Amino acid sequence: MKRLPLATALSVALFGTSAAYAGGDFYADFPVTLQGYQGDESHSVSYPGQIARHVLHDSLKKLSGRSTGDNAAEIKAQMMAYFKGDAEGRAILAPTSKAGFEIKQDQVDQLSKGKNLADKAYKGAVPGWPGNMSGEEVLAFMLDKAANNQGGYDSVNGMDYIQLLSKTAMGAVFYNQAVDVYLDERLEADRYPNDQPYKKGRHYTGKEHVWDEAFGYFGVPAHTMNLDAKTVYAITKGKPEAFKAADANGDGVVDLLTEMAFAHGYYAAAADKGGKSNYLKTITQAFIDGRQLIADAQGEVLTDAQRARLKAYADTIKSNWEKVIAEAVYKYAGSVYQDLKKIEIVIETNGDIGPVMRDYAKHWGELKGFALALQMGGKDLGATALQLNRLIGFSPVLLGNTQVTGIDANGDYIQAKSIDMGAYMGNMIQVQALLDEQFGLAARSNQIGDSLSALNAKLKSKETGEND
Amino acid sequence: MSDFLAQLLESLLGTFSSPEKRVFVGFLLSAWLIAVVWLVWRQGQSLKDALRQLFSRKLWWSRTARADYKLLLANRLVLLLIAPRLLSQLAIATFVFQSMHQVGLPDSGPDWPPALIAFLFTLWIFLLDDCSRYLLHRWMHTWPVLWPFHRVHHSATRLTPLTIFRTHPVEGVLFILRTALVQGLSIGLFVFFFGDRVDLLTVLGANLFLFAFNALGANLRHSEIPLRYPRGLERWLMSPAQHQLHHSIAPEHHHCNFGVVLSVWDRLGGSLQHTTAGQSIRYGVPDQRGEAEHGLVGLYWQPCRRVFDLVVRRIGVARWRRRHRDYPADYGMEP
Repeated sequence: MKRLPLATALSVALFGTSAAYAGGDFYADFPVTLQGYQGDESHSVSYPGQIARHVLHDSLKKLSGRSTGDNAAEIKAQMMAYFKGDAEGRAILAPTSKAGFEIKQDQVDQLSKGKNLADKAYKGAVPGWPGNMSGEEVLAFMLDKAANNQGGYDSVNGMDYIQLLSKTAMGAVFYNQAVDVYLDERLEADRYPNDQPYKKGRHYTGKEHVWDEAFGYFGVPAHTMNLDAKTVYAITKGKPEAFKAADANGDGVVDLLTEMAFAHGYYAAAADKGGKSNYLKTITQAFIDGRQLIADAQGEVLTDAQRARLKAYADTIKSNWEKVIAEAVYKYAGSVYQDLKKIEIVIETNGDIGPVMRDYAKHWGELKGFALALQMGGKDLGATALQLNRLIGFSPVLLGNTQVTGIDANGDYIQAKSIDMGAYMGNMIQVQALLDEQFGLAARSNQIGDSLSALNAKLKSKETGEND
Repeated sequence: MSDFLAQLLESLLGTFSSPEKRVFVGFLLSAWLIAVVWLVWRQGQSLKDALRQLFSRKLWWSRTARADYKLLLANRLVLLLIAPRLLSQLAIATFVFQSMHQVGLPDSGPDWPPALIAFLFTLWIFLLDDCSRYLLHRWMHTWPVLWPFHRVHHSATRLTPLTIFRTHPVEGVLFILRTALVQGLSIGLFVFFFGDRVDLLTVLGANLFLFAFNALGANLRHSEIPLRYPRGLERWLMSPAQHQLHHSIAPEHHHCNFGVVLSVWDRLGGSLQHTTAGQSIRYGVPDQRGEAEHGLVGLYWQPCRRVFDLVVRRIGVARWRRRHRDYPADYGMEP
């Protein structure tokens, strides 16, 4: 439970200000603790740059499906503006207002100016993608391919760039920045200390802002602890029935800065809405508790004990965030398995293969994107990563039992004979088993052969050594 | 530690409260009811004598019965520690399920009604389970390295339903692995072909066929009530009296009636023996060590010692043979 200092609580009671988040657990209204601050700000929470990047990502995803095949240069230029540009005047292409779900902002500048995705993208190697590229280079490559393929879909190589670009970007930018930068090296004593402003002229301390930015990258409303997973999921989708729950301050619009869900926050809600996991609130609570710890330090340098506790909250966030991504990989491995079954049936019945191949590419793009994202947390996943990349491959197994095996000097894919679709289905089973074993997953959506577990529970083996 | 103790207690209580277990209190009651009816109606005993025979203190508090109880407790402790470390049934099922993708298309089984698929799965698993029990039981008798462990069960000189717990932990591990293999294989195969249409027909959570077997007096197999079936029926179903023959110390009854529910497997394997009216049996093993047979430490240790001696003897003979190649191949071997 967020604890307001007594003076602030009395001020709120007497002057009736800051009624927006009265009561409950909120990532909001933490006071200014910077010692010697004499400005007008009363609250120190700030993460508009992160929300701007969420909006840039959503808008980029929207653009990535707009290629007609003939307008590649135009689409690429538009996409680059959101990926690498920092110009003013960029419209928010997603999320946008719809009937029954009015959004406050429609320009990126209303959130924050001069932001992009490329500058913050993971700079390390991405072995799961061919061509020996960094995270930023992989995203640029995918962006270029999206612009040059109608609808962002390459049917020859089974690539859905709408999904690949989006899911990889969430890992390369949001996940990597949060868990490998803000919740890692920037929590150390010699980085962004709590008795100094984050930058000259700011009203929040170094540690306050570091923590806020990590929270911003997760992408959940400030009042998440008062919502359930299904509602947060619906808010991201812009469902009218979730509008009232989203509009926490009742001003008739959903403020993207504090009332919207994005990216992995959405996927945490997606995993949790089945009722078997609690990632969303575990992560959000850890963020709130960590922010409260920093606020309680009252602008002093954190003691060793406080830093140890803060790092413990950070570890909770990192391990659960990692699981959220692993759950998504798990889910889409199940989806790919089902698609392969449908393809086999369509082939046998001489049906229309086009739609099922499109679904297959879409789900594979999500599988692959999340699998790449999982490996961008700054942590060496060792054999797990190697196995995952081998099982999933550089592309889906295509009709004719081929897969992409590399990229040539022109950036075109090279295909070669691979395993058959039946064996690839077996790979998806192994992907799920590997993820479950390594990460101890709880939600396990789209479990392949879930009847195996159900029947196993009914047929418990003898552990009592009874003779016959 | 407290979690482990709680698990142990839960396991012990579950033994008598779960309809999936042979000694579920309901099955014990039904067995005793059948026994009373049989003793009074077919054997002409009075009700009082029948009850005295079933529940005599001399039987239930005999040295051999007390050894059964010690093994029940000790094995539960040991197997709770060992069982989670054995190859799991789910792992086998998943392996089979995954491997089948190399040979065919999943969920490609016939489009039968779910009720039929459930019945077939229940029947299949019952038959495979019963057959594998027969085979393992036969091997426990005929393989020299396994017999010392199974001998623990046969060292009982009086039989009660709790004699099913008179088992060496090594044999218990083999039972667990057998069950995991049979059930894992069955689950993997059926789920591959029929997907989520597979189900198990159960009564109170227990396989339908095994529930019927247990409810209809399976506990009398380990009792001194010689309830027998008509000869024609004994060719198909193993009567309690037939299993009591299996426990007989008499040489003419050795290596017979290995089956559990069906006697078909013994018929096929040439080990079926029928019962005779008024048969009187002495239970135990020919090389019984008397009262020393019923100490817990001895029950655990003696089989290990015997197998060790056997292996050493075999190695010794093999070495002797290599040094004395001119001698006949069977020289020095026991008949």
